[in-house]
Amino acid sequence: MKLFSNNTLLVILVLISGYGYVIGCTHENLPPPAPASNTPVIVHGSDILLPGEMTKGDTTQWKLDKVHSSVLWSGSYIGAAGLLTGRFNQFGMHDVKDPEKTYYVTKAQPLMDTSWAFYENAPERTYFNGYVQINTSNTGEPGRDTGCNITNLGTIKIISGSQNLTDSNLAQIHSTKVEFDTQSQDYIVTFNLTWKGLLSAPLTQSIVGRLKYIKKAVVGAGTTAPYSVFGLQLNFQFDCRDFGITSTSISDKIDIECNMNFNNK
Amino acid sequence: MLNHLKMGDTLPEYIERLELLAFFAGYPLVYSIMHFIAGARGRPTGPFWNRTIKLLPVAYALTGTLFLGLVLKDIKAGAALRPTDLSFHISFLQIWGIVAVLFWIPLLAKKPVYSLAHSLIFFSLLLKDILMGLGSVSGRDIVKNDMKIYAVSFLLNLISLGIIIIFYFFLAQISARKK
Repeated sequence: MKLFSNNTLLVILVLISGYGYVIGCTHENLPPPAPASNTPVIVHGSDILLPGEMTKGDTTQWKLDKVHSSVLWSGSYIGAAGLLTGRFNQFGMHDVKDPEKTYYVTKAQPLMDTSWAFYENAPERTYFNGYVQINTSNTGEPGRDTGCNITNLGTIKIISGSQNLTDSNLAQIHSTKVEFDTQSQDYIVTFNLTWKGLLSAPLTQSIVGRLKYIKKAVVGAGTTAPYSVFGLQLNFQFDCRDFGITSTSISDKIDIECNMNFNNK
Repeated sequence: MLNHLKMGDTLPEYIERLELLAFFAGYPLVYSIMHFIAGARGRPTGPFWNRTIKLLPVAYALTGTLFLGLVLKDIKAGAALRPTDLSFHISFLQIWGIVAVLFWIPLLAKKPVYSLAHSLIFFSLLLKDILMGLGSVSGRDIVKNDMKIYAVSFLLNLISLGIIIIFYFFLAQISARKK
């Protein structure tokens, strides 16, 4: 190395290398990424689902598929971890007016399940009515279902071959407002729950619940008789003490889940 | 690694450049450190350091041979992937790297400064990255990656020199015994 000494070369190399390490190891404060949006992406379709007159074979008219539907209830045991659960064997989606509150000698639905309408993208037009027959509560224990449950709920035993839609055996819901839930695909429903319980007369109470729409789908596609189905699921809670129900073993809060399935067969 | 691609570089070209840096960019530093140690003021330059300086080009040739092995391995792997295509790509810088094998020739090995000049071409790639990486975050990422490779290259060249020194030491011992 005649042009410059080895020492000079070493100094240059060390300086360049050191500078490289300084540049490579210097971290600038990068601006943090923008936070993810907390607003859920909610897209409502435009399905309009109406019962019409439930004319068989009319695919524009939606029929309650009671066999595949259910109304479930559950309450907590006081001082124990388990739940007491049951279902109502008889229920419907009819706005039962006073003249209709009577006995019906039939095993089928006593009234048309036509008191509802569902507009996926226009909740203000959506409404529904429903009822259960209290004495058809089924906890899986016949001794309880036909015994203490009957007296504790202020009704009478099932009369074979007939359906009891009288005031003392009827709990009804009647929607008053349906609106979009801003945090999910669901709907927030305000409705009146009317039940006599152990009171002297039926009590109507306003309750807020959550309605879920299980989107319309085709069943049996590719077969000779395909048809469509959809579901509505309503969840709510009420205080059974408000209706005069007293118990030393069951807590006051009762959860209800209504799973209503419909088809257009 | 894709983040470190430069404008106009394809991934194979970028990997090829990193390989060249890994093999040769650290040699100038090893070269100058050895010369500094051997020629430091007040230090009597002993036969060991004189010998070490002379062995630098041979160590560089060993590094070049290792690089040649890598290039041949890549060509063989490429041929296995495309058995019907006998062509292969080799860049000018790769050929320049393979040229380091020529330092096995004693005539060239007598001039250590040639090996330095040869390796400075690769060091200039690193220098270019450092200068171009000043202005941007991505440029700094490139420099950071280059400096890791540079450290590996320095160690590789140091180990090559160590191997050559040990080899020549044993060779000298065997020669002395024969005499």
